[in-house]
Amino acid sequence: MRDARRTRPILIILLLVAVALITLDFRDGGSSPAHTLGADVFGPVERVAGDVASPFIGFFHAVGSNDSAEIAALQRQNDQLRAELAQSQVSKADEAQLGKLLRLSGKDGYRVVTASVIAAGGDYADTVTINAGTRDGIAPNETVLNGDGLVGTVTAATATTATVQLATDAAATVGVRTADTGQIGALTGTGQTMAGSDDLQLRLFSSTAVLRPGEELVTFGSVGGRPYVPGVPVGQVLTVTSQPGSLTQTALVKPFADFTGLGVVGVVISR
Amino acid sequence: MTPVRKVIRVAAAPLFLVLAVVGQLVVINRAPLPGGGAPDLVLLVVTALAVTSGPMAGTLAGFAGGLALDIAPPGGHLAGEYALIFCLVGYACGRIMTAVEETTGERPAATALTVMAVGAAVGEAGKAALGRMVSDPSVTGQAIRHVLPGAVVYDVLLCAFVLWLVSAAVRRPAPERAPRPEFAQAYGVAAAFRLASAGAAPRLRLAGSTPPPVRPPARAEPKLRLSGVRSPALSRTHAASSLAQPALPGGRAVKLNFAGSGRGNPLDGASALPPGRSPGRGWLRGSRTAAAVAAPRRTSPGRGWLRAQPPRPAAATAPRRTSPGRGWLRAQPPRPAAVAAPRRTSPPKGWLRADRLMAASAPPRTSPGKGWLRPARTASAASSWRPKSPSRGWLRPARPAPAPRRASPRRGWLRPARPPKGNWYTRGPSGRWLRRGRRPWRSPRLLLSQLVGGRR
Repeated sequence: MRDARRTRPILIILLLVAVALITLDFRDGGSSPAHTLGADVFGPVERVAGDVASPFIGFFHAVGSNDSAEIAALQRQNDQLRAELAQSQVSKADEAQLGKLLRLSGKDGYRVVTASVIAAGGDYADTVTINAGTRDGIAPNETVLNGDGLVGTVTAATATTATVQLATDAAATVGVRTADTGQIGALTGTGQTMAGSDDLQLRLFSSTAVLRPGEELVTFGSVGGRPYVPGVPVGQVLTVTSQPGSLTQTALVKPFADFTGLGVVGVVISR
Repeated sequence: MTPVRKVIRVAAAPLFLVLAVVGQLVVINRAPLPGGGAPDLVLLVVTALAVTSGPMAGTLAGFAGGLALDIAPPGGHLAGEYALIFCLVGYACGRIMTAVEETTGERPAATALTVMAVGAAVGEAGKAALGRMVSDPSVTGQAIRHVLPGAVVYDVLLCAFVLWLVSAAVRRPAPERAPRPEFAQAYGVAAAFRLASAGAAPRLRLAGSTPPPVRPPARAEPKLRLSGVRSPALSRTHAASSLAQPALPGGRAVKLNFAGSGRGNPLDGASALPPGRSPGRGWLRGSRTAAAVAAPRRTSPGRGWLRAQPPRPAAATAPRRTSPGRGWLRAQPPRPAAVAAPRRTSPPKGWLRADRLMAASAPPRTSPGKGWLRPARTASAASSWRPKSPSRGWLRPARPAPAPRRASPRRGWLRPARPPKGNWYTRGPSGRWLRRGRRPWRSPRLLLSQLVGGRR
């Protein structure tokens, strides 16, 4: 009883502090100094722990993919080949135009820093931490990809770690276009909405465009390559739905990258 | 407590929190778990610390752990969200556990687990609710429906493990306990007696229920009356005994031996007293004479239908016979006559007593409402042997507080069948509880204590 009585003022003070922190962070859009402090404190710890735990995580994933592991590997290879095909198609058709537009010339404009995922975000957010930071040249709003396709974009970076917002996060929006027809649209993550799948949602901008299942999507690119560089394969259209009330078509897109088993990723650093 | 142990206790909580935060971010969130959600190690550690160490530790651990989870790199939500929720959950868990301990005097592991599981579930729900409140784009209704059940299930599954780990590290030394009373043998005897009389429950009646109809006495009542016959129970007894045994010529009262077989029953007239009619005096007491159960006493046939009483020397039994009305199923050690003798002059107690025998010498009954089912006890004579009585101690809750309540039949659970009418001069039941303090209903604790019984 005495303990409870002594605790009550402390509880009230702590609650007020928490509310103040929430308010400050809300005002700063989720990038208040508290996050910087936390990254400085916990970043090195996570780096060490991530290095220690990586083999176990890999083992988990190996166990998780059961007897159909071979099929999955073949599928991944197929996806990779398809992505390469799309890339070549894009680069063939629009190389000159893209280079002129964005002052980039294919892959020569990029430098890729590799890093590995060491930690992942909580229940509702799709964010990961990678073990490379500003010391390696990483800055916020840079594209993150892996061998399969687009992964996400860097939202915050400390000296040794960086936080990546995955493309599946509900707050992430990627500008994409179809590799064949060049129709542009916006790709939004679905977050934790659907069980077991990391599907993305595509909404085309043009009302006359026709979308077919099986079409492949690449990033449209942003000015200066931030936050997304152009031409990175994203995914493949699964199903097309045209809702009665909406002007444009929407579609579900299956991403090329496997977001549940992210390991080594590359961060595209523009010169 | 060794110094190493002390260091472990002090450092355990921060260590557990840091380990939980890192493990959550590095391992749990990355592991491909089936189902929507993932367990929250930090929330589990916070609730476990609160349950084991109290509300203060729970509050501080909740704030620290939640804030660490908020600002550690991957983040994904506003700083302070989890600190707020975990702080509240830690305080609530510790407070509930403290309240349970204050009420029952112990902290059972099952209760701790339950509090912890409920706290973890509430914490998960609180995280989702606060995410909605700050309009986090990731926290949609669909996402909550997808994530929350899995997270709660994982938390509940991991509760026992985390609680075991944390309590093993921060456990305080167990408080000194009284040695176990040596009633093991007597306990077995009492259980056997209870089994034997299973079908013959004594006539206990809840207060307020209507008493069975009392048949009017068929014959003239004996001349000798009790001085204080006001209780219906007593008058019934009177009538019944007059049915059973006619008064001896000369108006002399019959010496009643109540546990005997010739006793009348108020309900079926002159039939024998069924074994279940228990006089209020320790009819199921199994105490020290466990070995003597098998020796029913035949030398005094009027007493004890199934008494477990060892044959005693006549010097010891002689005074006993003049104090009837004590258990028909008594297993009580022989006491010296000096102890038993003053009981004779004690005011009448119990249901079926030879009150007429003592009517001449007994003091007037100042408390007419003494129950027929009361543990008869005189303050002076009982105090010497009361601790030996098994009705206190090994068959009762650890806290002996409710015991004095039974002394007053007005407030007990087992009241006399019809409470005595109080008038202005005698002690009436009217408004008595109101006099126990100013505005007792204002304090829930006081009100509860008055509803349950006397103030401790």
